[in-house]
Amino acid sequence: MKRLLAATILILIGLSLTPAQSDPWQRALPPFKFDFARDHSSHPDYKIEWWYYTGNLQTADGRRFGYQLTFFRVGIDFQPANPSRWAVRDLYTAHFAVSDLDRDNFRHAERMNRAGVGWAGADEKSYRVWNEDWEARHDPEGHHLLRASDATMAIELDLAPGKAPVIQGENGVSQKGDAPGNASHYYSLTRMPTRGTIIIDGQPIEVTGESWMDHEFGTSFLEPGQIGWDWLSIQLEDGTDLMLYQFRRADGKTDPHSNGMLVGTRGETSRLTSDQFTLTPLEFWDSPTSRARYPITWKIEIPGRGVVMTARAAIRDQELQTNESTRVTYWEGAITLEGSHRGRGYLEMTGYAGAAMGAFNN
Amino acid sequence: MKLFSKLFHQFILRHLVRERMRSIATIIGIALGIAVVLAIQMTNASSLRGFEKAIETVSGRTSLEVVGTGLGLDEGVVTSLGWLRSYGQVAPIIEGEAEARAADGRRETLRVLGVDILKDRSFREYNLLEFGAAEPTPQEFLELLIDPKAVVITEKFARRWGLKTGDEIELTFADRATRYRIRGLLLDEGPARAVDGNFALMDIAAAQWALGRLGRLDRLDVLLGDRKSLDQAEEEIRRRLPPGLKVQRPARRGAQVEKMLEAFHFNLAALSYIALLVGLFLIYNTVSISVITRREEIGTLRAVGVTRGRILGLFLAEAAGLAVIGCGLGLGLARGLSYGAVRLTATTVQSLYIATAATPEPLGMRQVLLAFGIGLPLALLAAALPALEAARVAPMAAMRGHDRLASRYRLKPILLLGPLVLFGLAWWMAGQPPVQGLPLFAYGSAVSIVFGAALLAPAVLYGLGRIGDRVLFKLFRVEGRLANANLAGSIPRLSISVAALAVSLSMMVAIAVMIGSFRETVIYWVGQTLQADLYLRPATRNNVATDAPFSPEVEQIVAGHPEVAAVDRFRNFDLAYADGLVTIGTGEFQTLLNYGSLQFKEPAEPEAGREAMRRAIGQEAVVVSESFALKFAKQRGDAVTLDTPRGSVVFRIAAIYYDYSSDRGILVMDRGTFNRYWGEPQATSLTVYLRDGADPDRVRDQLLARFGDQYRVFVFTNKTLREEVLRIFDSTFSITYALEVIAIFVAILGVASTLLTLILERRRELSILRLVGADYRQVRKMVLIEAGMIGAVSQAIGLLIGLLLSLLLIYVINVQSFGWTIQFHLPTGFLIQSSILILIATVLAGLYPARAASRLPATEQMAEE
Repeated sequence: MKRLLAATILILIGLSLTPAQSDPWQRALPPFKFDFARDHSSHPDYKIEWWYYTGNLQTADGRRFGYQLTFFRVGIDFQPANPSRWAVRDLYTAHFAVSDLDRDNFRHAERMNRAGVGWAGADEKSYRVWNEDWEARHDPEGHHLLRASDATMAIELDLAPGKAPVIQGENGVSQKGDAPGNASHYYSLTRMPTRGTIIIDGQPIEVTGESWMDHEFGTSFLEPGQIGWDWLSIQLEDGTDLMLYQFRRADGKTDPHSNGMLVGTRGETSRLTSDQFTLTPLEFWDSPTSRARYPITWKIEIPGRGVVMTARAAIRDQELQTNESTRVTYWEGAITLEGSHRGRGYLEMTGYAGAAMGAFNN
Repeated sequence: MKLFSKLFHQFILRHLVRERMRSIATIIGIALGIAVVLAIQMTNASSLRGFEKAIETVSGRTSLEVVGTGLGLDEGVVTSLGWLRSYGQVAPIIEGEAEARAADGRRETLRVLGVDILKDRSFREYNLLEFGAAEPTPQEFLELLIDPKAVVITEKFARRWGLKTGDEIELTFADRATRYRIRGLLLDEGPARAVDGNFALMDIAAAQWALGRLGRLDRLDVLLGDRKSLDQAEEEIRRRLPPGLKVQRPARRGAQVEKMLEAFHFNLAALSYIALLVGLFLIYNTVSISVITRREEIGTLRAVGVTRGRILGLFLAEAAGLAVIGCGLGLGLARGLSYGAVRLTATTVQSLYIATAATPEPLGMRQVLLAFGIGLPLALLAAALPALEAARVAPMAAMRGHDRLASRYRLKPILLLGPLVLFGLAWWMAGQPPVQGLPLFAYGSAVSIVFGAALLAPAVLYGLGRIGDRVLFKLFRVEGRLANANLAGSIPRLSISVAALAVSLSMMVAIAVMIGSFRETVIYWVGQTLQADLYLRPATRNNVATDAPFSPEVEQIVAGHPEVAAVDRFRNFDLAYADGLVTIGTGEFQTLLNYGSLQFKEPAEPEAGREAMRRAIGQEAVVVSESFALKFAKQRGDAVTLDTPRGSVVFRIAAIYYDYSSDRGILVMDRGTFNRYWGEPQATSLTVYLRDGADPDRVRDQLLARFGDQYRVFVFTNKTLREEVLRIFDSTFSITYALEVIAIFVAILGVASTLLTLILERRRELSILRLVGADYRQVRKMVLIEAGMIGAVSQAIGLLIGLLLSLLLIYVINVQSFGWTIQFHLPTGFLIQSSILILIATVLAGLYPARAASRLPATEQMAEE
């Protein structure tokens, strides 16, 4: 399980907005058989769903960029009594960030919309999710086409699927807690060859690189006692992909639900349990705006695999503050890896700023 | 300069103090005149400003708005407007009205704004009491609004109604009464300030549902990014919008309403000037009498070397002094009067034009400037004639008394020429067309008639003096004869007072005749047109502009009643046309032909009218109201181009019918035709025809019982609707009568002051009368007869001139301002009653002078001499 940030955001929205009623939302129960491409599309019977893209890109002459484009859907009212098209069945949020790594520049934007007259939405039949003019969809070849723009930045990217989808958990179900149904359906595309254009301050820049996509849907994700987590997605130069995450608990202990996964060059997977790896913070950065203290350099050790690497933030400030929607503050940015293996990836850290995660504990 | 001020003090001020009754009367006259003009000006401004302020506060930072043609924007079309976002932020808006109802029966109208709060925060300021200084996040705000029965009201309204967050409030939208939960209170900022806190915020979905506007939006507000200029963006958007959609600035709606109210306001303003006119007559009167009574003193002054210019200046200064005090007092009075005027006009403005919380504009520099800017120059103008006459006084002749006015007035034929010329001018002006929709020439004509009548006063008095002797002797014996002689002896002085009174009376007569005719016409029209048994409208539909359609359930209940033979579902709404607004209506022509009746103007023959209407079914044809035809100079067979959701469409005018329900111009088309362009209409009023023998009152009660507490519908029977029509009619003209009463009061004040002057002047004669044995009661009787005669003469002139003016009002001014044909009708009863009242009022006005005259002790008087 991963990308808990999304869960937090959606739960923050969902908890406060959902009318009191018997829960009609479908729970994630085993067995579940994924059907691609159908399951790229939206699953409106589940309460919570997100599509998460991050990637490291560069120009022909080596200028490096990171990007993040995330679409969230949270079900508010399974069947609104109000027949108006503006009645809020689902609420759609989206986050978009571009890290101009060589110029130490990070920009981000957010969108929050109801479906209304199609200003935001997620199709069920074919893969298309959008929020105003931000969009992710399939082309006929199954490539993911991403499009987003804000006042000073834009992306237009074409992502090939790359390796086959990695299905998280067992029997198509990624268990989050002890209760049945407290789980999600979750898969990842860990290495998607990417090409396209980044526009910075009106200047279009041709880029290529690799992206990572997660898509998860479920209804209940709650796990009390957690104050935050650190999550890494890594694409190593040897063709292996690595995902690692750890929960930080209020009592300071590492949560046994912390987890990891290795994806080989041909897509073969192996799980890592919390005792098979360690994550140690080495260096910190203090956000001048949120006052949060983020560990931006980590030592990664997987003794059984001979891995000892240092993950370092490509630039320090890649903090998102979502004042227009949920007010969740988190750090999500491009990293570089050195040591026994070299590579690039993305790091997500939550629960460092404010009491945003507090709501998660109820 | 020193000499002048000394002269002014000795010659003018002292005199004014000595003649304080007349000075006070004059000042009151000016004050009332100015006050009425200001009050009306403030009232007009308030109804408009109230509306414009509401638009302004509600539109917030909106730079442009995309609107549809009449019935809002179809959501299907909105989907294709994604490109609008490249110009800035876009927010969907639903705006309407709801009626809040308290347990104790108290009801107030709220302006409801339905927004997508996720989009709306950049457009408008919403500060919630619960959040204090911290603004809620869009999401927190959405939480408050997301329930379809959630509403946020203003703290101001909540305080007034004793409500708090979490309480329930019953709101009626159109005909549906529902309990809503108050989820928050808005502080007095942003849209909450509109209409005095009578504002409610809802989620757009909830508002759409509540107002019965599923599938459409009222407008899209656009907040431009700073990259483009407003003009450029407006032009670009205009070019890109599909047919049926328009882009405009929010203020445009205010301008359209202003245009619509223009005629109403103009006529109200014109009326208000009558009181001022009468006040000016008083100034003229006062200065004239000053001059006449002091010819000898003027002669003396001239003889000792005071120049003509200085004499002129002295009398003008007198007028200016009176006017300044009058204007000052008038300013104070205006505020109070404006509250009354707003109350009197509010019903009209709200039932015929727009919903607005009218509170009069506070007194500002603008009003001060207006008061002195109008009052002072006009007062000087009024005083100029007598002051010039004073300046012309020949020094020696006046001193010797050679110049004294002849005690017997001789009518000079030249005096008849003035009125003749003025009446001729009036005739010519009455034939001129309106200027930009306003009857400027017609009012010029009215003013000419009034001045002509004023100039005629001496001639009438002269004529009366010749025949009055015998009649009055017969009626009142010797006192009557004496009174007649006294009047005949002071024609120049009296004629001014008589003219002033006659002028204001003629105005009253004219307006009474016009209103009486109008009322009769409406009664006849109502009788001809209102043929149905029951009329239904939703509770919140306060005027034709309110978009409040019926619930389908209500329509089903009505149609399902066993005694209902037919229902005509009528729908109307405002559509921008030319610079203003017209009303588009649609109903079932066939039902109207079968059961109802319209009064056709063109073709005039009823059967031909019905035939024209029948042929209009299914065609691109409209039946238009007379006011539309007159306002836009259209004839039967002409083409009218209307903006429809499908672009501009040309409709042919099939017939013109009489309508007195609204002056904004109505175009009616058959449901089938309407359907092609605007889609299936929801009814905003239902006209119900019952089966033979059904009792309308019983059916009404049964329907109301079926509606229960859930639906709030006004059900009028034919009889109660007629009463309602006349109630609105009468309330429309209540302001007219109020203005008239003030003008007449001022005029009667003038009569009293003139009489008093005459008494003081005739002290010597009166004393002799007493000496030769006249009882004090006889003296009093004589003076009262004089007063009564002045009243009678004035009323006689007033009646005649009033009838002339009423013709002008009915056949020119009304047609040019509102486009209504009014059948002439003489309200005989009212005229007789008011004549008697005027006679009594003038006699009463003579009481004080009469008492003064009868109290003059004979001996003292002589001793003084």
